[in-house]
Amino acid sequence: MYRFFSPSFKEKFFKTLFFSIAVFSALLLLVILLFILKESWPIWAEIGIINFLCKTTWQPTATPPQFGILTMLVSTLWVAGGALLIAVPLGFSSAIFLAEFAPTSLANILRPVLNMLTGIPSVVYGFLGATVLIKYLEISFDLASGESLFAASVVLAIMVLPFIIANSENALRSVPSEYRQASMALGISKQYISIKVLVPLALKGMVGSVVLAFGRAIGETMAVLMLAGNTMNLPFSWFDKGEPLPALIALELGSATPGSSHYQALFATGFVLILIVIVVNLGINILLQRWQRTV
Amino acid sequence: MSKRSWVSSLLVSIMILSMVLIAGCGGGVDNGQATSSQNTIKFGGSSTLAPILAKCADDFTEEYKTWNNVDASLPEEPIVIFVSTGGSGFGFKSSLDKTFDFGMVTRDLSDEEKNQLVDGTIIQLGSDVLDIAVNNENPLPSIKSDLTSAELVAIFSGEIKTWSELDNALPERPIVVAVRDLGGGASVVFDNAIMKGTPISTDALQLPSMGALGGKIMDNADTIGYVSSGLVNQNPDKLIPLSVDGIAPTIENINSGKYNISRPLLLVSKDKPNQYQQLFLDYLQSEKGMKVVEDLGYVPLSR
Repeated sequence: MYRFFSPSFKEKFFKTLFFSIAVFSALLLLVILLFILKESWPIWAEIGIINFLCKTTWQPTATPPQFGILTMLVSTLWVAGGALLIAVPLGFSSAIFLAEFAPTSLANILRPVLNMLTGIPSVVYGFLGATVLIKYLEISFDLASGESLFAASVVLAIMVLPFIIANSENALRSVPSEYRQASMALGISKQYISIKVLVPLALKGMVGSVVLAFGRAIGETMAVLMLAGNTMNLPFSWFDKGEPLPALIALELGSATPGSSHYQALFATGFVLILIVIVVNLGINILLQRWQRTV
Repeated sequence: MSKRSWVSSLLVSIMILSMVLIAGCGGGVDNGQATSSQNTIKFGGSSTLAPILAKCADDFTEEYKTWNNVDASLPEEPIVIFVSTGGSGFGFKSSLDKTFDFGMVTRDLSDEEKNQLVDGTIIQLGSDVLDIAVNNENPLPSIKSDLTSAELVAIFSGEIKTWSELDNALPERPIVVAVRDLGGGASVVFDNAIMKGTPISTDALQLPSMGALGGKIMDNADTIGYVSSGLVNQNPDKLIPLSVDGIAPTIENINSGKYNISRPLLLVSKDKPNQYQQLFLDYLQSEKGMKVVEDLGYVPLSR
């Protein structure tokens, strides 16, 4: 019994165990991608990537059905990009404040409150947006209806804000304190240290937080479904209505007959959505690595 | 034997043991389902039918508790009825692959779909009627309480964009057209009855649920949309139904078939129902079941 699990056996056992768990999680992503690709294959084969991505007519139940997701694609990028436009300046400023300026006692109150924001279910955000924000936009701007990409962006911005703040603050805090000490020894003001010294050093982590937020914003379904208005028009301004890809999938998957081309087209849409997130993630990572080498 | 290595080997054995146990439990659950599936009935599909089924299932289990109270020949097993939602398409699919015993479908079935159910059952519980409704602050009903099909097509296809284009006495404000997701049950009903293939305007707001659609009309005075008659009956002060081609959506007109913007409430299954399922289906089609259909704002099947 005593020698049954020898130290070297144990070490090997755990190594294999954890390795296989790690491989399993990586495989999971691959399997999901392959499954979605398989389900959507007829669309790619029949309609073609260019037609699917660049046509603006989506009429899944017409004969013959038309599948072009350009309007939805533009809405998705617009909503997510708009959310970042609002959330990044706020998030970076809050992170700098929390990491460098806030007294410890205040930071200790603010941080958990901000983290708690991530725990609010997206349907609650959507509900609040639909009852408060949309009504507000309708009344104060005398709009016929307040649903818009802007409304969706505002709510998404609140949803991704905690991610940006928490990760950017971590990045700022992990800058070695020598830099602060050296700067202070030179008699530089705290504002100058933060913006000219610490932010450039932490920029990699801060950009990483934005990428994470982008992934979250682009895939968010419930809030945009309730706020973007879901019209089929190509949006030309932030205050137009649109139908982001996740909203399209959520709206139509329930009524699409499984195996029909409509069903396959929705899977193809999901595939596009995943690809966008993966490409943005990889792209930024490669960019950051190059960048670090030159710095 | 050193204490530390004893502890770690114990940990490893617990780990292995728990893996075996988890695997074993997986098998156990399967076995449990196989034996308990007789007294368990699962419904899945349309979110319109789900409240009806849930209410009936509640009443049914409350009244009888165990199957032997329903029929003395059955064993004393608890009545378990599951109802989950996910749309008509999902309901149809999951009745075919038997994820659920019955699919809840609230649209007309195509011939192809009926062929897939030749060995099973298709039961109609009633109809869901769509009213064309506007907000109570909209001046339309007092000026023009009846719209023709052609006017509805013009409004919903986006040909007419402001209320004043419909009638000079109406304000010059944009018409907000609210619809359900294109291709979903309700929009197919509306297409069959009114649009007849004319595409819905790309400006139309697509709402994710009937409740949200009704809510949008109640919130916004410029909105027009099609709403379940049940929702209109529950909010008589806020949602004003309109007549179409001179026919008001009254019970008489609906049951006589004159008012035709409606869809059937169907339960479908791949196989013939077993004894347990048949008992519950009988209950659904009894007066008590029909009362629930009516109470929730749908039109029960007139027999």
